[in-house]
Amino acid sequence: MSDMGNVVNTVTLRVNRFAPRPERDRDRSRGGSPFAKKSSPFGGSGASARRRPRGKQWVQDYTLSARPEDTVLDCLLSIKRTIDPTLAFRYSCGHGMCGSDAVSINGTPTLLCTATVKDWAKQPSVSMVDDEGFRHTGDTAVIETDDGDDSGNLGIIELAPLPGFPVQRDLIADIDQMLDQIRRLKPYLQANDELATTDEGKIDVFEYLQRPEQLAKYEQLSNCIACGTCEGSCPVYAGGEAFIGPAALITASRFINDSRDVQAAARMDAIDSADGIAACQSVRACSRECPRGIDVGEEIWQLIAQIKER
Amino acid sequence: MSPKHVEDLYDAVIVGAGAAGLSAALGMLRSERMRTLKASGIRPNILVISKLQPLRSHTGSAEGGIAASLGNVEKDDWHWHYFDTVKGGDWLVDQDAAKLLAQEAPATVIALEHAGVAFSRTDDGHIAQRRFGGHTRDFGKAPVRRAAYAADRIGHQILFSLWQQCVAEDIEFAEEWYVTDLVISEDGSKVEGVVAFDTHKGVAHAIHARNVLIATGGAGRLFHTTSNSWDLTGDGMALALTAGLQLEDAEFVQFHPTGLAHTGILLSEAARAEGGVLRNADGEAFMEHYAPGHADLAARDVVSRSIMAEIDAGRGIPDPKDPDGPKDCVWLDMTGIETRHMHEVLPQVVETIEKYADLDPTVSYVPVKPTAHYTMGGIPVSTDGEVYRWHDGERRTVEGLFAAGECSCVSVHGANRLGGNSLLDACLFGTRSGQTMAARITDDPVNDLMSEEPPEGNDADAVRQAASARTAEIKDLLVRLPEDDEAGRDNPYQLMADLGSVMERAVAVRCDETGIEQALAILHDELGPRAERLHAHSDAPTFNQEITAIWEVRHLIELGGAVLKASDARHESRGSLKRLDFPERDDDHFLSHSMVDAQGQVSWQPVHIVDMPPKTREY
Repeated sequence: MSDMGNVVNTVTLRVNRFAPRPERDRDRSRGGSPFAKKSSPFGGSGASARRRPRGKQWVQDYTLSARPEDTVLDCLLSIKRTIDPTLAFRYSCGHGMCGSDAVSINGTPTLLCTATVKDWAKQPSVSMVDDEGFRHTGDTAVIETDDGDDSGNLGIIELAPLPGFPVQRDLIADIDQMLDQIRRLKPYLQANDELATTDEGKIDVFEYLQRPEQLAKYEQLSNCIACGTCEGSCPVYAGGEAFIGPAALITASRFINDSRDVQAAARMDAIDSADGIAACQSVRACSRECPRGIDVGEEIWQLIAQIKER
Repeated sequence: MSPKHVEDLYDAVIVGAGAAGLSAALGMLRSERMRTLKASGIRPNILVISKLQPLRSHTGSAEGGIAASLGNVEKDDWHWHYFDTVKGGDWLVDQDAAKLLAQEAPATVIALEHAGVAFSRTDDGHIAQRRFGGHTRDFGKAPVRRAAYAADRIGHQILFSLWQQCVAEDIEFAEEWYVTDLVISEDGSKVEGVVAFDTHKGVAHAIHARNVLIATGGAGRLFHTTSNSWDLTGDGMALALTAGLQLEDAEFVQFHPTGLAHTGILLSEAARAEGGVLRNADGEAFMEHYAPGHADLAARDVVSRSIMAEIDAGRGIPDPKDPDGPKDCVWLDMTGIETRHMHEVLPQVVETIEKYADLDPTVSYVPVKPTAHYTMGGIPVSTDGEVYRWHDGERRTVEGLFAAGECSCVSVHGANRLGGNSLLDACLFGTRSGQTMAARITDDPVNDLMSEEPPEGNDADAVRQAASARTAEIKDLLVRLPEDDEAGRDNPYQLMADLGSVMERAVAVRCDETGIEQALAILHDELGPRAERLHAHSDAPTFNQEITAIWEVRHLIELGGAVLKASDARHESRGSLKRLDFPERDDDHFLSHSMVDAQGQVSWQPVHIVDMPPKTREY
């Protein structure tokens, strides 16, 4: 990235990094300990072992020149090119459509490619956390800023993998759990194959008819890109073992509200369970950062009402 | 998701999980014969390998629509679609393939609707259709509404619906696996399998298969400025070249005229349709000089060339984000569009400009430049998806090898693709490839206990040899070079950026012999050797993205060489290819597809002219 005129702006990316311990070491350590659990008596073994990856964790600061309007993804790609090619993070389309780059930015789950430096860089506030790592609340800490010294320093952005999912390396999280939960709910159109016919019974329309107002009932839900920011924001989801998660519920709702689908009742049964809608506590954190603008919390609320009123 | 174990032999392996790959998987499993086979209790061994997670494929970024003469909003006819496709491709289109494309388009779109695509609708519930550049009624008389759309998210809808149907079929996926080798029998007559690198575990697998379909998408990352995702590194095309096959019409790359400056992100044609005007550094609306009467709404390739001509004449502007950088952009002036109207009809365009250029298009000019968008050429295939080699004036099919989508070339796009035809190509010819594979599989399924045991693979078999070679290479790539070694400081990400600049300077939108030769020399003397010396900077095999990136940049360099060689061989200007030293179309010598191989040898295959003799392409 080239500098802008004579003003050199820098930003610091504070990245929570993780390197998994090589697999053979893990096997050896487990084999060597008589207390190492190989399976759980409660079933669903392997999963929890797999879900808690072991390895080395550390925090690494990267300071680089940047413009306020650069995206955090721009900065990370610049780091890969010029500072540290080993830093791992997922990315693909770069403009908010593919859903691959959801991470935690300053503690908030969001997409790397839509987050800009000017929106997320914050000036360091040393007084926030004491030596033992406690954050003081209640009193207003006086944050000293010295404009003279900080000119050109846009601040710090803290990055960590998407919360609620096991980390695999650096900012890469294992979101298979979410995809499995979506798959569990038969996320595909089940229509009754009836097509419109003429009075003589001849098929005269080959598509399933759907009026614009019927489309409007689920159109926005169908825009979900399965990025996982809603799941990462949900305090109940964390780990996904007791809650099927907002993304799966949105997918279910997308088909329940599609006039072409004939399995609404079965779909509602499938999520009317302890780890389904009953697990949602209506915190609505899921709505805040949805990159497709879906009010996830409200949609789930409507879904609950729909199911309860059956 | 990774397969629990790798089977000894697969009936079919599909590489790529975008529109083409998923359509092929569904076309295969939902064919009549495959259903019969499954009903008899034989389950085919099928694996879809993707270097991405599910649902991340670039298909999801397609915005506009998918073309089909459904005639839902006004009278339309597949003959007109057929004509438009041939004309749009500047008569370098194989007409038998284009005819199929136009004829089968309505059924393809209906199948997508049944798969769940949330198409926008007419008031009476039919699939809605909109106008798209180059699609006309009565053989060019007037624009026609032919593109079926889902707001501005048709690609997302298609990708998700196809994946969802694959979930219904319980198809096995190997996700975030990267195919490093395509293995073909020594005499080149049939496919043996692939080698795939599991990026999670850091292990290369030998995967034997009777049928392999390549559906890896395009290669926009050949260029610095591209609308393509970071993953479109031409892997499938490079695999084919390395395996000794050819690429057809590799010199034809479509540039969309209005990429948002150096981001390459598309600003829809609608911005100009609603009144946006292109201006040079002097503020002059220059398009009227280049395309009188059409001005800013001339065909894509015409507008891209005009922008480039302004830049070459020194009338470009630098990207305001990089004021000291090259003057390689022009202005898009949307200030003449009434503010409220702009927000109503161009929400996505406005959002992109605000977000990624930090500008307000109602008051500021927006920097734009042509952005690499689509590769018309690719792995040569028949209309049933079979890959062939052009040899001694005839097509020699590689048994069991298939390709579909942007990485392939059935030649429906010729020298320039029409909007709305790419998703159609991927879905239609993907499905047809799947059906062809199904017929082959059901003749002799791997899991048929009554049939002869397939011969045990041994260490001498070609797929295993290739896998062992990769395993050795991975070990070597993971050895870190010392810091003071020049190659130790190099990395694939920087190299990819350097390659993009070289290719862009040489062949973006226009080219000539001198520029092509310079670029070939840089590839050969500098970038190629740099790529060969690359090593990873971490010795961990698991989730080591740099390993994949090294292979990607090597793929791009191999493919870049082929694109340059093919561009060099065509001494004419046609469609997206503008040779400044050969400015005219030359049907006497070049009404032929170029067939280039890894050595840069180019042979020529005549275009299939069935119904429409070549004419001048005018809009």
